[in-house]
Amino acid sequence: MNATTVRQIKNLPSLQAEQLGHWPSSAMRIGAALLIVSLAIGYWSADGMQRLMHVYLLSVSFFLSISLGALFFVVLQHLTGARWSVVLRRIAELLTAAIPVLGLMMLPIVLPMFFGSAALYSWNDEALRQTDALVQGKTPYLNAPFFAFRCLAYFTLWTIIARFYFSRSVAQDRAADALPTEAMRKWSGPSMLAFAGTINFAAFDWLMSLDPHWFSTIFGIYFFAGCAVAVFATLAVASAILQRFGLISQAVTTEHYHDLGKLLFGFTFFWAYIAFSQFLLIWYANIPEETVWFLHRQEHGWQFVGLLLIVGHFFLPFFGLMSRSARRSKRVLLFWAVFMLAMHWIDLYWLIIPSASPESIAVGPLDLLTLVGVGGIWLATILKRAVGTTLVPVGDPYLEESLAFHNV
Amino acid sequence: MTSEQQQVAADQPRTVGLLAEFATQDELIRGARSMRTNGYAELDAFTPFPIHELDDALGVRPTKLPWLVLVAGLVGGIGAIAFQWWTNAVDYPMLISGKPLFSLPANIPVTFEVIILAAAFTAFFGMLAFNGLPKLSNSLLRVGRFSTVTTDGFFLSVDAKDSSFDEKVTGEALRLAGAKHVEPLTEEPNPSAMPRAILMGAAVLGSLALLPPVIIASARSTTSDKPRVHNFFDMDFQPKFKSQTSSRLFADGRAMRPRVSGTVPRGSLQQNASYEFGFAPGKASSGEGDGSETATPQWVKEVPMTVSTELMERGRERFDIHCAVCHGKAGYGNGLASLRALELEQGTWVPPTSLHSQHVIDQPVGQLFNSITNGVRKMPAYGHQISVEDRWAIVLYMRALQRSQQASLADVPTDLRATLREMN
Repeated sequence: MNATTVRQIKNLPSLQAEQLGHWPSSAMRIGAALLIVSLAIGYWSADGMQRLMHVYLLSVSFFLSISLGALFFVVLQHLTGARWSVVLRRIAELLTAAIPVLGLMMLPIVLPMFFGSAALYSWNDEALRQTDALVQGKTPYLNAPFFAFRCLAYFTLWTIIARFYFSRSVAQDRAADALPTEAMRKWSGPSMLAFAGTINFAAFDWLMSLDPHWFSTIFGIYFFAGCAVAVFATLAVASAILQRFGLISQAVTTEHYHDLGKLLFGFTFFWAYIAFSQFLLIWYANIPEETVWFLHRQEHGWQFVGLLLIVGHFFLPFFGLMSRSARRSKRVLLFWAVFMLAMHWIDLYWLIIPSASPESIAVGPLDLLTLVGVGGIWLATILKRAVGTTLVPVGDPYLEESLAFHNV
Repeated sequence: MTSEQQQVAADQPRTVGLLAEFATQDELIRGARSMRTNGYAELDAFTPFPIHELDDALGVRPTKLPWLVLVAGLVGGIGAIAFQWWTNAVDYPMLISGKPLFSLPANIPVTFEVIILAAAFTAFFGMLAFNGLPKLSNSLLRVGRFSTVTTDGFFLSVDAKDSSFDEKVTGEALRLAGAKHVEPLTEEPNPSAMPRAILMGAAVLGSLALLPPVIIASARSTTSDKPRVHNFFDMDFQPKFKSQTSSRLFADGRAMRPRVSGTVPRGSLQQNASYEFGFAPGKASSGEGDGSETATPQWVKEVPMTVSTELMERGRERFDIHCAVCHGKAGYGNGLASLRALELEQGTWVPPTSLHSQHVIDQPVGQLFNSITNGVRKMPAYGHQISVEDRWAIVLYMRALQRSQQASLADVPTDLRATLREMN
């Protein structure tokens, strides 16, 4: 990279609202409109509310998993003192900016529970609690007030971490010294610990407790593996789009795409490793209370979704991303990034929807409507936050090293 | 070339290439590019730190190693699956908790590990092989100024194997390409000789390796008044009772517990006494008409199973395994174990009874069955190692064996009598 390009990147102007045009407000309006349409469809169709609640949880989980993955990425870079990734970090920081809004979007899930709604979480059903000994035994943990409190705690903590890293990073852009970077590094250890604990229990609460009888201690890691896959795919796609619109100059090079490809490859394997670890122990022990979860996902067509995940979430990207030349080709990498985002959505679908319709896969318009609805609001939040910041951390002490980064 | 010239050539170290030093990394890269333009291919560069452009300047092609690693991984994975299938499902089928004999999920961890092992070994040893490592000698280290390569020296070498290599011409080309110094790389006088340090190290390690066997041998051939060393104390002295030992834990002082009276262990319920024991409950009369009871049990007279060719074959097979070693395959009491015992003049050996002696022929099947089950005189009991069904099969075969040795022409089917005569 020549000196002119480096200078150009270091003097990258901050993003102006005019550059985004109508995109943020359009995304917000379309998102809100689609969610209202979804609500209407759910309200007026038979058994629609239960279905709606599940696909809404799916859509929120999908975008939350990207934002949480981004939070993990940001904290990880400071924890490891990584330098190659500096040019990508602002994009990840912006992805975490949607976390508070996603927290607000959990309200439609949490609030009805105080009125006894068991549309999503059957353990909130008072009658079931009386008759089912297992649910009764778990009531001290699985009850609406404590559930709501935990949601609040998770989102508060994530918001604090996300804002801390975003504000310090922006402050570093104009700072004369490296104090903000030092502060970020200092807090990266505790932040990572807090993140690991909360994402684990968040996955237990929101996804695993859909089947209140079932438990798997590795479930939180499984969800985390999906988050990591999602964020590396999203970072590759986002960098490519921003570069196409000339917003980050030549900051992200083939070398950075190559590394994103490596991480996407690695975490695709990690996901398969964790998914198989979960399956193997349950399969081997063959205890009904554990196998029932897989039983629901191995009949009435769900088995094909499971097989699709084995092939599409593991074997195809594993061989597709194995070659160095594939990872260094922007076109090939972007294909796999989009493919993995789709697979990640199917993975979450396979986790959540069998709880609503164990008898059929039943893909419906609500799936897409809520996905685009939540996605629109998510995207609008991120774009609005991006206005006024540069899309590359221009003041980062390691920026030049990141720009000069070269895979040996 | 005369013999004298040959002698001189042998004394002179062979030139294996040229080493050129460049002042800066940029000059090195320019030099490498210019040498490649001149048609040289066997180039290598040595720098204090990695220079990314060098790969391109030297025309280094991507290594083929990843393909080898991929193939090794695939072969390892397929081999591991196939081997587990063969061992678990074919060669030694073992049913584990009702799973299919060949259960893919159970085989994945081993397969995964073998893939990693095969791939990692291929990567490691393949890297060594592709780099020609380990090297016993390195002509670069014979050049004094090469030691600056770890601080500020930038070097380019041209191998003599290059088709355009000529010491004078190539040296001039290197100078033109910007080298500030060029000198020949010479081979060590004996390039494939094992360095003394390695030989010494191997000798030291080899002698140290002899110590444990020497210590063990001396300990085994001498006596010691020190107590024995127990490396695994809790394995040598386990907190458990062995069979036929005493215990103060129980009132009767026995470590082995008798069955609780009035109970039958699972699978041990013997409902049909004639079938299980070979005799019916109660005592038979002496048969002399005086009405007095003797100790003779009511022996079963007929094999209490459906007689079939399969049962007979099973009996022959079991007889040959369990009985023939003493009684002989034909039952005359001349089995190999007996012959050997007689040959060694074992005083305690009682030759086994011939199964063709009249008192054995006269015994009812139930009595033969009982002898197998509980043993008779010096013959041990086989009831605990041969199943009831197999014991009856053996009895059936013994009956056939006895009849075969007492056979008359009437026993041979008429249509086979002619062949009998011919064979005789």
